[in-house]
Amino acid sequence: MATSQLSRQLACSFVLAVLCAFAAPAAAQTAAVTECENCHRGQSDARLSTPARDFALTDVHRDRGFSCVNCHGGNASEPDKIKAKAPSTGFKGKPAGQMVIAVCAQCHSDGALMRKFAPKQRIDQAAEYATSVHGQQLAKGDTRVATCVNCHGAHGVRLVGDAQSPVYVLNVATTCSKCHSDTGHMKGYKLPDGSPLPTDQRAKFETSVHHAALAKNNDLSAPTCNDCHGNHGAAPPGVGAIANVCGTCHSVFATKFALSAHSQIFDRSCVECHSNHAIAKPSDAMLGTDKEALCATCHSEGDNGHKAAGAMRGGIEKLKAAIAHSETIVAAAANAGMEMGDQELAIREARNHLTLARTEMHAFNPKPVDEVLQAGLALTAKVDADGEGALAEVSYRRTGLAVSLGAILLVVVALRLKIRSL
Amino acid sequence: MTEQVLSWLDERLDLSGLRAFIAEKSVPKHRHSVWYYMGGITLFLVGVQVATGILLLLYYRPSAAEAYESVQFIVSQVQFGWLIRNVHSWSANLLILMAFVHLFSTFFLRAYRKPRELTWLTGVLLLFIMMGFGFSGYLLPWNELAFFATKVGTGIAGAVPVVGDFMVRFLRGGDEVTGATLTRFYGIHVAILPAITTVLLGLHLLLIQRQGMSVPPSVEKREKAGEKIPQEPFFPNYVLHDVMWWYVALAALAALALFLPWELGKKADAFAPVPAGIRPEWYFLAMFQTLKLIPSHIFGLEGEMLGVMGFNVAAVLLLLVPFIDRRAADGAPSRILTAAGILAVIYMIVFTIYGYLAA
Amino acid sequence: MSSPHPPGPPQESRRTFLDSLLGVGFVSTALSVLYPVWRFVIPPANAEPATDSIIAGKVSEFKPNTGAVLKFGTKPAILIRTTDGDFRAFTAVCTHLECTVQYKPETSQIWCACHNGLYDLAGNVVSGPPPRPLESFAVNLRGEPGQEDVVISRT
Repeated sequence: MATSQLSRQLACSFVLAVLCAFAAPAAAQTAAVTECENCHRGQSDARLSTPARDFALTDVHRDRGFSCVNCHGGNASEPDKIKAKAPSTGFKGKPAGQMVIAVCAQCHSDGALMRKFAPKQRIDQAAEYATSVHGQQLAKGDTRVATCVNCHGAHGVRLVGDAQSPVYVLNVATTCSKCHSDTGHMKGYKLPDGSPLPTDQRAKFETSVHHAALAKNNDLSAPTCNDCHGNHGAAPPGVGAIANVCGTCHSVFATKFALSAHSQIFDRSCVECHSNHAIAKPSDAMLGTDKEALCATCHSEGDNGHKAAGAMRGGIEKLKAAIAHSETIVAAAANAGMEMGDQELAIREARNHLTLARTEMHAFNPKPVDEVLQAGLALTAKVDADGEGALAEVSYRRTGLAVSLGAILLVVVALRLKIRSL
Repeated sequence: MTEQVLSWLDERLDLSGLRAFIAEKSVPKHRHSVWYYMGGITLFLVGVQVATGILLLLYYRPSAAEAYESVQFIVSQVQFGWLIRNVHSWSANLLILMAFVHLFSTFFLRAYRKPRELTWLTGVLLLFIMMGFGFSGYLLPWNELAFFATKVGTGIAGAVPVVGDFMVRFLRGGDEVTGATLTRFYGIHVAILPAITTVLLGLHLLLIQRQGMSVPPSVEKREKAGEKIPQEPFFPNYVLHDVMWWYVALAALAALALFLPWELGKKADAFAPVPAGIRPEWYFLAMFQTLKLIPSHIFGLEGEMLGVMGFNVAAVLLLLVPFIDRRAADGAPSRILTAAGILAVIYMIVFTIYGYLAA
Repeated sequence: MSSPHPPGPPQESRRTFLDSLLGVGFVSTALSVLYPVWRFVIPPANAEPATDSIIAGKVSEFKPNTGAVLKFGTKPAILIRTTDGDFRAFTAVCTHLECTVQYKPETSQIWCACHNGLYDLAGNVVSGPPPRPLESFAVNLRGEPGQEDVVISRT
């Protein structure tokens, strides 16, 4: 009995030890609740209580063992208010302005430290920030600009990939526009040419194709503010760089555009025709010589550009009409029962040529556009020929039926006569 | 040569009785004898349907995933598939038309009177079976129009009290029209209905052969008064006459295939909205249009239910015509029934046209 | 079966003319029915509707590190033979704006000429505008070893 009791005790302590062994590293992972939080949470002033409460919910730093004192200084285990924030504790208070950058960069620019938590994460954000408009303004003493915490939050920071993070792809525009769409906040800031900085970028962006791709098609590869303006080094691209920036995704168009005279002439390259924030779905109507077309803004009757625009648009319309015509023939033949699978594929190829022509057009040279369109027209011509052939076959069959109808009627007449003769 | 073959068979099967029967058989010839051929044309068209149906069976696939494509395949890739399919579709319509013509001609000529009540019963049942063939076959290409027409048609069965819901589930193979409905309709179309037809048609033809052609009451009166009604020998005269009418039907089929070829339509999509103007084939159109006109409630009873039950009652009355008009056998056919028959014809024609124009 | 009066010479020739006319009529209409029926029952060039699977060709027709665009149902499909000799098949409809993709042997990737979309040999997007990977199809070999048919099917 004594031995069984002993073995039971041993077993219990063994289990307990194992549990503690597992518990110990877990405690090292998430930071324990600090005395700071115990006091601040109970405060009636929301400026004091809210950060403590937020930090207790979801926070990337807290989940990895960081607590209030890592950013604010102070003594985490001292319940007394004065002693916890004594100068000897390194208490920093609420960081503001340049101090915010310094506090964050203390860890985030430390390669050896970051390697322990997120080896692939970059450590040059602070340096990048210094090159941004926000960073440059801050250096001049302007505290109205965004710092790390304005975009990432301070207490309750989430990973960028967390859908509730203010810097998650779909939320970036909302975060930027917290300041940039606020006319009161943006008062006094000017563009290089002296006109006031606009605050309608978000409204315009929401009408754009890129926004539609993000919001409606869930295509997270579509650009939002930071894709063109940069993340930490945020600044407008600068007119010379626009084609490069757009070209990071729209590479084929950028290559073609670089071949054209327009690339030397347009101040704002792509933006001249496509706008920067309110980028609408392009249509063939933008190209050409009629009044809706953009070409007529600069080109007038008689000049080379006007002729080229007319030629390219005319060619595209011609191919579109040819495709529509082919489709009608193929539909008629298919409905009559002819097999038109190959022709349907060829029409699809012809449509591809339309897409290619619209790409080629960005070099603003009618010749390569025309080559592509001619290839497309060759395809539709063949489809038309095949379609007409199929319809002719349908006619041929009906003629055959008509002949056999004649033969049948002949037999009917002959039978009638035979019966009469009996 | 035919004589040699026949005598070879005669030695083994003793065809003498049969040959005598055929040689002696004659058919009355009078003002209304042209109507005798209507049944023969209907029979010919049944033959065409069986032949073209069996041919289509070689390539058709009864599943929702493949039915439309297999019909497309038949029509575009199989040699003369377009012809076989067109003939099958048109012959179906022509068959039902001729069945109605045959029905009304035997009705107005009182061919149902004693001793031919069973011929009438089997005939009316065959008409219903043919309409069942039409309804089940229509779904098989699995195109948009057929899908929705079947949805509406099977839904109407639900209006029958007590057994309505069961009937709908039984017909559809489930609660909705799906691939299960298609497979079920296929089984009904190629196995169940043909089996029933074989029995009924066999009976119908046997009865006709045994009892011979009926003469209308006016001719019978002249016969009873002692007048000799001219007769036409069955073979070769009547047979050639019959064959001539078959050729006329064949010519009609060729003309229809020529001028009004059947289209493929769009593949059925259960989740697409019902296309505007959906309606059943013309032989159901009068009933469909009538149901549309009945108000939703009459004396607290559901209008649709009353309509459907009304049609069921009419069908039963049609079956019982020989027993309703027993006096026709005595040469005094019911005037009321003649009037009812004329009204029925007018109603059907008017409402079919109305149904077309309303869509 | 015998007629009431024996026919005279002119009626007799008219009778035989009618009979031969009828005979020709019957035979020709019978032929115009039987000929299509006969052609109908002989299997056509494509044995069955090509909805869910097609035969792309013989194994020997496809060299390693090549791709071929073929018709699969109503849309194009791309069949690739990798450098190792394996077969892969995907829809050839680019997920961006539906241009037809092609195989690039230099980089062993699938490329869309319209806007430079690139996919790897698993159909996943490597770079460019396509928002989704290419739908993949199953490839099986069927037949005598050495002369198998390459069969592409949807599942």
